[in-house]
Amino acid sequence: MKDSAVEVQNLSVRFGDFTAVDSISFAVRRGEVFGFLGANGAGKTTTIRVLCGLLRPSAGYGSVAGVALDAGEMAIKARVGYMSQKFTLYDDLTVEENLSFIAGLRKLDPAVYAKRRDSILAFITFQRPLNALIRDLPGGIKQQVALAASILHDPEVVFLDEPTAGVTPAARSRFWALIRDLARQGKTIFVTTHYMDEAEQCDRIALMRAGQIVALDTPARLKAEVFPEQLFELEAVSPVHYGDMDGLRDHPDVAFFEPYGMRFHVALRKTVGGENLRRELASRFRVQAISPTLEDVFIRTVEGERR
Amino acid sequence: MRTLRAFLRKEFKQALRDPRMRILLFITPMIQLTLFGLALSTDIKNVDLWAQPDSNDYLLRRIYDRSVESQWFRSASGDHNADPFELVRSGKADAALVSPPGGLSRAVARGAGDLQLLVNSMNVLEAQAVEQYVRNISNAVIEDDLHIKRPEFPISFEVRVLYNPTLETAFFMVPGVMCMLLSITTIILTGMSLTREKEVGTFEMLISAPVSATEVILGKTIPYLVLGIVQIPLVLAVAVFGFGVPMRGSFAVLLVASVAFVCTTVAIGTLISTIASNQQQSTMGGFLFLFPAILLSGLMFPIENMPAPMMWASYVDPLTHYLALLRNIMLKGGEGSFVVKHVLILIGMAVLLILASFRRFRTTLQ
Repeated sequence: MKDSAVEVQNLSVRFGDFTAVDSISFAVRRGEVFGFLGANGAGKTTTIRVLCGLLRPSAGYGSVAGVALDAGEMAIKARVGYMSQKFTLYDDLTVEENLSFIAGLRKLDPAVYAKRRDSILAFITFQRPLNALIRDLPGGIKQQVALAASILHDPEVVFLDEPTAGVTPAARSRFWALIRDLARQGKTIFVTTHYMDEAEQCDRIALMRAGQIVALDTPARLKAEVFPEQLFELEAVSPVHYGDMDGLRDHPDVAFFEPYGMRFHVALRKTVGGENLRRELASRFRVQAISPTLEDVFIRTVEGERR
Repeated sequence: MRTLRAFLRKEFKQALRDPRMRILLFITPMIQLTLFGLALSTDIKNVDLWAQPDSNDYLLRRIYDRSVESQWFRSASGDHNADPFELVRSGKADAALVSPPGGLSRAVARGAGDLQLLVNSMNVLEAQAVEQYVRNISNAVIEDDLHIKRPEFPISFEVRVLYNPTLETAFFMVPGVMCMLLSITTIILTGMSLTREKEVGTFEMLISAPVSATEVILGKTIPYLVLGIVQIPLVLAVAVFGFGVPMRGSFAVLLVASVAFVCTTVAIGTLISTIASNQQQSTMGGFLFLFPAILLSGLMFPIENMPAPMMWASYVDPLTHYLALLRNIMLKGGEGSFVVKHVLILIGMAVLLILASFRRFRTTLQ
């Protein structure tokens, strides 16, 4: 596949006896915003580290930005940008000092650096003084500067590991506008997140569980695939105990059941029993047919398997 | 080269931006040396002196009285039958005069006698001073009262220094303190600088760039090497101008020796930082190395008195060699072959340590 920015076949990463990534295969198109979802410890960060040249895979093949994984870390590192889930700027240095240090690390020519810096800061609409210390910036701005730092060398593929953890909703949506802009400029964005509204904005998402990819598609198709049944939202008319609902969870015509605060999401099989159950429920709840959210998809695929 | 330059700029800015760090680097060593130096001052007063009270022993009485009059000494409490050893051991007296059997006067009348002085020399310098004071006072008493001129003194002086038999001088201590301060700042700071990056997460950013292990290690060590070297003249100035420690050798030779030494300490710090995963571990590691290294270096306890295994350990301790160099260069003027030998040993150690760091350092994560 010529237009794959990232391609991986049977990639595995083992730490001693523990298999963090278990023979995964996927491909990411150029210019795609590719989301990676999964519980903590599912292997998202480990996969990203391999693709950034920070970890050597135990088995499998792959290429990133046209460079084979076994071609050496240096070649991969030169082609990709990486923003780790930890904070990646020096708090005690200014914006300019951070960026120029990273330019030095990446051996950018000073003139090239100055041009890149100005255009990237314009891109993130950074309006503060360049000599502001990073620690004096608000969280959202810091995150944007970190993004700027990770694309300073104009990489083809950018890996963002939970880039918006711990910033305000407004800053998150601003950050995602930048991500979409970058994709429009032709960059491939590989992003992990725990926020479902962010996952909705990805072109495609992969769901990871215990080192494996359990589902991979566009958000819309994922919902359709994971929920062939009709999903209903039940709203209790009178107070309900969770204990009373256990029968419903194990009911043969219930494909999916999950409490959402005072409400419940229930997927009913398209059977006679399912139709009967729906009518019966309608007597106790306000029942409304809904389309599944990514959160339902996530719960059913990533967490639901253990039931 | 560009990467290295970027590293150096960044490290210096980070190290020097924080005013606390500036103080730690440049002011603290000078203050510490001053404090250590003052604590080691030879001007001693109020030493508690005890002498066997014997009304018949006129001479001992005179020596004792003149000692107390001199204000260097105070009368120590303790009754007639007190055991002088016990008094010194318990700290009731810092020093005790013990006359020969039958008393000092009678011994002198016979024409010979030993006056024994017991000194608690937990503090080496105090013990030396006490010995000198008592000796001078006794001599003065004999000259004035018995009208006997040296060298026909009828009494000999026997000093028993308790608890620390080898006496060292202040000039001997100050180079030791210099060596200690220099190693503390360089080892701890170097060790912390890389582990701080690991802890905060910037390390991952750093190695996500196509940098080589050499670039990272040199970039992280050279700044601390330079800062360590800048400390040398500061600390040396306090030693020479503040305490009058002689500087008999050449400054250039001393600087070469110091650079060799700082190379080893920075290398130790780097090695520690490749092992430790956070700053606490790194500080712990630093002190875990420093305490035995200081104790074995001959700074406090003479190496000659150590049992063989400890002696061997002290030879692989870089502090031992630098201390020997400092003392040799400052006090003796620096003997060519001696200096060359120890500088070469230090450089050899630095090379081995840096190689070990390279082996341990990875630009990938485990």
